[in-house]
Amino acid sequence: MITTTALTKRYHKVPVVRDVSLHCEPGTITGFLGANGAGKSTTLKMIVGLVRPDRGTATIDGQPFVELPNPTRVVGMLLDASAMHPGRSGRSTLSIAARIAGVPTTRVEHLLDLVGLADAAEKRVGTYSLGMRQRLGIAQALIGEPKALILDEPANGLDPEGIAWMRTLLRDFADHGGTVLLSSHLLHEVQATADHLVVIADGAVVTAGRLDDLLASSTILVRSPDPSALAAALQAERIDFVAGPGDAFTVDISGGRVTTEVLAGVARDHQVLLTELRPSEADGLEQLFFSLTASKAAPAQEALA
Amino acid sequence: MTTSLSPRTLGIDSAPPPAVGSIPFSRLVGVEWAKATDTRAARWLLALVALSTTAMVLVAVLVPTSFDQTDASYLRVAALGLTILLPVVAILVFTGEWSQRSVFTTFTQEPRRIRVLNAKLAVSSMLGGAGAVFGGVVTAAGLGLASVSGRELEADLTVGAITGYLLFVLLNVFAGAALGALLQSSAVAIATSFALPAAFAVLGTTSALVSDWIDTSAPWTWVLENDWAGHVPQISFSVLIWVAVPLTAGVVRTIRRDVA
Repeated sequence: MITTTALTKRYHKVPVVRDVSLHCEPGTITGFLGANGAGKSTTLKMIVGLVRPDRGTATIDGQPFVELPNPTRVVGMLLDASAMHPGRSGRSTLSIAARIAGVPTTRVEHLLDLVGLADAAEKRVGTYSLGMRQRLGIAQALIGEPKALILDEPANGLDPEGIAWMRTLLRDFADHGGTVLLSSHLLHEVQATADHLVVIADGAVVTAGRLDDLLASSTILVRSPDPSALAAALQAERIDFVAGPGDAFTVDISGGRVTTEVLAGVARDHQVLLTELRPSEADGLEQLFFSLTASKAAPAQEALA
Repeated sequence: MTTSLSPRTLGIDSAPPPAVGSIPFSRLVGVEWAKATDTRAARWLLALVALSTTAMVLVAVLVPTSFDQTDASYLRVAALGLTILLPVVAILVFTGEWSQRSVFTTFTQEPRRIRVLNAKLAVSSMLGGAGAVFGGVVTAAGLGLASVSGRELEADLTVGAITGYLLFVLLNVFAGAALGALLQSSAVAIATSFALPAAFAVLGTTSALVSDWIDTSAPWTWVLENDWAGHVPQISFSVLIWVAVPLTAGVVRTIRRDVA
């Protein structure tokens, strides 16, 4: 379990992270979504004690990270796959991590196999592609048999096959009771991997919740070749709607009374022909994400560089 | 590549996790020793330390007029050879992980950074000690060579001379460690370790105050020559400003620094 309360950090008086509270339950994958420079990495670094928060707390299983006696036995992490010594081999990198964690060296071979680096184990990390470093980083995160994983942009540099592999791995980890917190700047990546979502923009959480809930459409789109007849029918049944998109109507279903079935019934009763009847595109989240991130993406990326 | 994972593979068995104690200090030291010695770059540097030490002693053997032909003098020559590059090794023990950015890993594996720094300090001492032993072996070989060539060497090797030799080597190593801990950048720390003493040596030619107190060459040569009489204040002061102060400041800076 990973919990943060009101984590806040300023650099040179510029707020980078503001009151970020997260809660990641065992058995779930939490996606931490935000544009580059939104404060994702800084938040993750505060959780693992690399960056000192100005305010707020972070705990793993109820204990601050810096007080864990042997942290890699509790939480594995991949924060920056390029931050590995290029002169050391993949195997040697993992062996050092295994020694620190106090796990048998057989686990090194195990994980080299698991991440598909057994053949490249003797090569120096400096010769690895970003994707290979990412795999090595995953192996290093898993070395101490942790109960939680914290991964910063784990899909970076992986090919499609590698991304699919990692999704399966993380899902398996969560299904076995593990807690996963991963960051990404790609909505579709998070959608495909996570079951909980926290969206961060400009250092603050803008929305959070179960992915299904956030993606669940709160409106139904209904379209007829005869819009005025449809409008009359809906009004007669006291169903609220707004015009659009196009010549279709959008019906709010958050009250719970109206469903697609109810609308189909209304159309039948009023003899209105329907050509389209479906939940609106689940674009609320995407719209939200883009509206929050698009305008800030350019300066944020500069700030990062 | 396999995607079928057993819980065992992932390490999240439903069984309660074993009680995990803190990481033993000896394990941290072992890991830091491995990090300091297991890369190709590190081995080249250590080979250069060995080479410069051997070369210096060879000069004393082959060019008898270059140095006093006594046992203790040979040992001092070895010390001078050792301390050209051994401080750089110590610097890299402290700066390497900042430059390679592997501090991300190191300080999350052991978030009590003071323990990591202590382990690195222990490794620096071990490297200094190992270097000193190597220097002793090279000295013995040099002395053997000289006597084979029929030269008469004065036997003046006292416990004091050996102590001075050991202290001198360790002082140089700790000064490197302190500079590395403080500056946290390999390039900057190495450049400083050569430029600063050189600058003070130049200044020392104009001021006895600088040469006796601030520049290390005079005070630390007194240490090497076991010549403490009347020099304790100068030696203490130079140890303070070249080792104690930068090391303390470096420890504080490292513990407080945000690893971003």
